[in-house]
Amino acid sequence: MSSPLSRRAFLGTAAASTAALALPRITLAADGFVNVYTGSDSNISDFWTNVILPGFKSVNADARVRVVDAGDGAGLRAMADRAMAALGTDSDPQVDLFEAYTPDQTEGSIDAGLWVNFATAGIDNMEKVNPAAKQTDFDLPYRGSQVLLAYDASKVSAEDAPKTWDEMTAWIHANPGQFIYNRPDKGGSGGNFVRRAIHEANGRDPQKFTLDNYSDAYAEETLPGAWDILNGLAPSLYEGGSYSSGNTQSIQLLAQGVVTMTPVWSDQVLQSITMGVLPENTGLVQLQDLALCGGFSRITIPTNAANLEVAKQLAAYVLSEEVQSKIITELGGFPGVTWDSVDAALREKYADVIPASIPTFPGGDWDAAINDRWYRNVAPGIARG
Amino acid sequence: MTDLSSTGPVRTGGTARRNGRGLTGLLLVSVPVALLGWLIIYPIFNAIGRTILRTDGTGPGFSLDTYVRFFSDGYSLANLWLTLWVTAVCAALLLAICLPLSLYLRFAKSRVAAVVQGLSLFPMFVPSVILAYALIRTIGPNGGVDLVLNALGLPKINSPYLTPWGPIIGLVWDNIPLTTLMLVAGLGAVSDNAVEAARDAGARPWAVLRHIILPQIGNAVLVVLSFTVLSIFSAFTLPYVLGPASPEMMGPFMQRTFGQVMDTRMAVTQAVITFAICAVFGAFYVRSIARNRKNGR
Repeated sequence: MSSPLSRRAFLGTAAASTAALALPRITLAADGFVNVYTGSDSNISDFWTNVILPGFKSVNADARVRVVDAGDGAGLRAMADRAMAALGTDSDPQVDLFEAYTPDQTEGSIDAGLWVNFATAGIDNMEKVNPAAKQTDFDLPYRGSQVLLAYDASKVSAEDAPKTWDEMTAWIHANPGQFIYNRPDKGGSGGNFVRRAIHEANGRDPQKFTLDNYSDAYAEETLPGAWDILNGLAPSLYEGGSYSSGNTQSIQLLAQGVVTMTPVWSDQVLQSITMGVLPENTGLVQLQDLALCGGFSRITIPTNAANLEVAKQLAAYVLSEEVQSKIITELGGFPGVTWDSVDAALREKYADVIPASIPTFPGGDWDAAINDRWYRNVAPGIARG
Repeated sequence: MTDLSSTGPVRTGGTARRNGRGLTGLLLVSVPVALLGWLIIYPIFNAIGRTILRTDGTGPGFSLDTYVRFFSDGYSLANLWLTLWVTAVCAALLLAICLPLSLYLRFAKSRVAAVVQGLSLFPMFVPSVILAYALIRTIGPNGGVDLVLNALGLPKINSPYLTPWGPIIGLVWDNIPLTTLMLVAGLGAVSDNAVEAARDAGARPWAVLRHIILPQIGNAVLVVLSFTVLSIFSAFTLPYVLGPASPEMMGPFMQRTFGQVMDTRMAVTQAVITFAICAVFGAFYVRSIARNRKNGR
């Protein structure tokens, strides 16, 4: 996108694809497909296409479901805006289920009644959902992932791997240039590392932060302590305070032996090890004083969906033991249901890595505030000017 | 690319009108002009309107608060300065690399020249994202270059990855083809006769360059500069992947303000400021084109 030519080409393709989109849109509403929108990476949309949808045939053999890639969160927001605009009219929002979206990202959508209330919708398997993962009644946590520290086991032994925040801080200072985390807005591994620093600065109490208690004043009171902690780490980070531009880039630096330790998503690092991007002996460790935050991906269903009943059936099927077990084996993720609700053999096998609890950090206004303040207070650094 | 022909000195203006085909011509340009108005001119005024008109329900009003916020915010200004600095460095490096290259391509007649020309156009066919990851694997830390140096027993390079030099290297590489093409086109205007006449009169290569060639390609250089400034100023992919977390270039900064901070009005303000700066260079370009046409008539 950096030369005028490619920009022109881009405009051309954009115009062409807009035109192409306009055509099927006319027929889309009537074609009987149930539209599942996702903004996640391709491993997730592949999981839906190759695992969930074929299995769903056993529940509803007639339903035809299509997975649509919205690109990213902004793409999903646009789809939710469309559903919101169609609410109360006869228009078909042309989306039946969001694979990972939270109601707070569309302002006023809960009050307007845009989302199915899972507490009262009478969906099967609802009772299996892990209570610790619940956020609102309007989203359905169906898969989870936690952030871990991954390290090069040829340089750090398992006994020396840090198990608390203080041990980790000491390790980073003792090994300058060997640790990096990514910019908090560019990927959850660095994002949740920053949030762990916020927990550290606030008595390691995740309860202090909820979706509703954001205010500028409260942020001003709770966040600066974390910036002090992170600025204290900066001189000992890679290149004296460099931050990679995404989850993948951090893993790449670890794979190239540039850094020795970095925060990673559990599912992503397991996949990297399977694919050989990272060596077999890559060490993984979770902080024991308070785990690095994780997150759950949450299904939401608009109440004005054209195929509301099928969407609900699909949500119930995703919570079934069958799919939830495959989330562990095929995705390397955590189930959205309690561990009693997955295959007993799996429960046994993964006993060691089952987290007692995955602390989460609320999104909403906190997200924008934390990320932007990090850019202003931590990214510029002190030594680097 | 269609502009290239207009950098040549000879132009047969006004033939269409003389032949009575003015109306057909107007009809032909009406579609692109309408598109320009709809997709570019209208959004510009829309953006300016949205940033200076108050919409807080107290009726129409005039407010420059986002501009005041931008220009009084050290963080935003640092980003703007970095963008200007990167653009200036890139433009200087591009001229330094591409001028000798295009002089060679203009005057060399060998088969090697054809190969060099092919190579110099190669970056045009490599998407920015691919380039960014390729650069990480080569000049990034423990990348290809480091491996070679290490095998030779030499110290590793100080990697430009995640510093402002990362995007600079990428942007220069990415812009070499267009710059070279435009300079070669400009050099096409320099006649072999003039150069040979100067050589016969005993002029050394440097004197030929300074007194014969450079005065004739001044316009092309101006066009090249405005083009590179325009594309580098608004660069996104390379600064995003290769650059430091802070200061950010305007491209990633705007995207983050829009998509992450969700402050659309501020994002539009940043866009208007970026556009205003680019418009200055756009004006250079338009002026040189206009001057060319006048000369041609």
